[in-house]
Amino acid sequence: MTISAQQRGIARCNDCGKLSHLQILDNKIAAACPRCGSALSFRKPQSLQRSWAYTLAALALLIPANMLPILTVISFGQGDPDTIMSGVVKLWVSDLQAIAAIVFIASIAVPVLKLIILVILMLVVQLQLPLSRQQCTVLYRFIHFIGRWSMLDLFMISILVTLVHLGNIATVESGPAATAFAAVVVITLFAANSFDPRLIWDLDND
Amino acid sequence: MVEPSHIPQDLTACPDCDMLIQTLPSEKHLEGHCPRCNAVLWYSAKHTDTISFAAAISGLILFYPAITLPILKLSMVGQRGSNSLIGGIYRMWLENEHSLAALIMLCSLIAPFMHLLLTAIVCFSVRINHFPAHFPLWIKYIRWMQSWSMLEVYAMGIIVAYVKMMHDGEISVSGGTYCLSALLVCVILCSQYFHEELVWQHWEKHKTA
Ligand SMILES: [Zn+2]
Ligand SMILES: [Zn+2]
Repeated sequence: MTISAQQRGIARCNDCGKLSHLQILDNKIAAACPRCGSALSFRKPQSLQRSWAYTLAALALLIPANMLPILTVISFGQGDPDTIMSGVVKLWVSDLQAIAAIVFIASIAVPVLKLIILVILMLVVQLQLPLSRQQCTVLYRFIHFIGRWSMLDLFMISILVTLVHLGNIATVESGPAATAFAAVVVITLFAANSFDPRLIWDLDND
Repeated sequence: MVEPSHIPQDLTACPDCDMLIQTLPSEKHLEGHCPRCNAVLWYSAKHTDTISFAAAISGLILFYPAITLPILKLSMVGQRGSNSLIGGIYRMWLENEHSLAALIMLCSLIAPFMHLLLTAIVCFSVRINHFPAHFPLWIKYIRWMQSWSMLEVYAMGIIVAYVKMMHDGEISVSGGTYCLSALLVCVILCSQYFHEELVWQHWEKHKTA
C-alpha cells in the first residue's frame, strides 16, 4: 500500500518541486509555494477540461492541415501543390523511402498517435477503465517525448523556402496547411502539458 | 495555509504518480527512480554546474555564427541559393506566414538562446553567491525555454531537406551546419548537467532574507 502526498495533505510545487502542507479551504485563497511563490495545488487545475478542449481543437485542425496544400515546388513556372500525404508519397516513389518514413512519422503518425493516446488517457481517468497504471504512465511519457518532433515539417519548409529561391528556375512556396499544421502541433503540446498523470494513479488511492 | 517546516528534507513526492518516497542519504549519488511508476526522481550531481556553465558560455559564443552562416548551398542550372536559420525565418515573414515565422523563431532561436543565457546567469549567480531579485523567476524560465527549444528537430529538418533536394541539383553542406551541430551539443550538455533542485536548495539556503 502506497500513500500519495495528497492523502497526507502535501502538495508538490509544479514549478520547483518543493513539498508543502496544503489545507483545503472553503474560500479559494490561492496558497503560494514558500520557495518559489507559484500557486500551489494538489493536481494541475482543471486538468481534464483543459486537455479535452485542446485535444478536440487539435482534432478539428487536423482536417485542414491534411487536406490543404502545405508546400508547392515551382520549377520553370510549373508546379502542383502538395499536401502532407502527397509529399510523403512523392518521396517514396522517388526512392527516398527512409526520408519518406521520417516525414510520415513526424507529420502524420506523431500528431494522430498523440491525440489518440491523450483521448485514451482521459477516458481511463474519467471512466475508471482498468488499464495498467504503469502502461498509461509510459504512454504519457511517450507523448511528451515525441510531441516536439512534429515541428520537423515546419522547419523543413522554412529551410526549403529560403534555399530553393532561384527566380524562374525553381521556387518553393508554403501553403495554407502550414499554418493549420503549426496550430495542431502547438495545441497538442498544450493538451499534453495540461494532462496530469497523477490523476491515473489517484484511481488506485480511493 | 502553508506550513513548510513540518516536512523532512529527505521526503519527496513523485511528480508523475504523487507517491511519497523517503530518500536515503546514501542514494544521493545515484540516479533515483520511483518504485511505483519508474519516474526519474533525482540524478547524480557532482560538479555538474561547471559543465553546464561551460556549455552555456560556449553555446552563446557559437550562437551568432550558427544562425547567420549559410546552412545548405544549392546550385541548379547555374543559379545558386543558400539558406541560414535567420534567413529562413525572415523569408517566412516576407511570404506573409507571420504566425509560422514567429513559431519557428521561438523554437529555433529565442528559446535555445534564452535557455543558454539564463542557465549561464543562474550558474554564475550560484558561483558568486549573489542572487538578484528575480532569481526564482529565471529558474522557472529555464525550464520553459528548454521545453520550447527544438534545435535537435531543426537539425533533422536540415538532413531531410538535404536528401530531398539531392536529385534536383547540386547541394552541399555549409559552415552554418557545423556551427549548429556544435551549438546543439552545447545545448544538450547544458540541459543534461543542469541540476534544478540543487540550484533551488542553494538559493533557499543563501538568499538574503
Ligand atoms: Zn515552488
Ligand atoms: Zn512515481
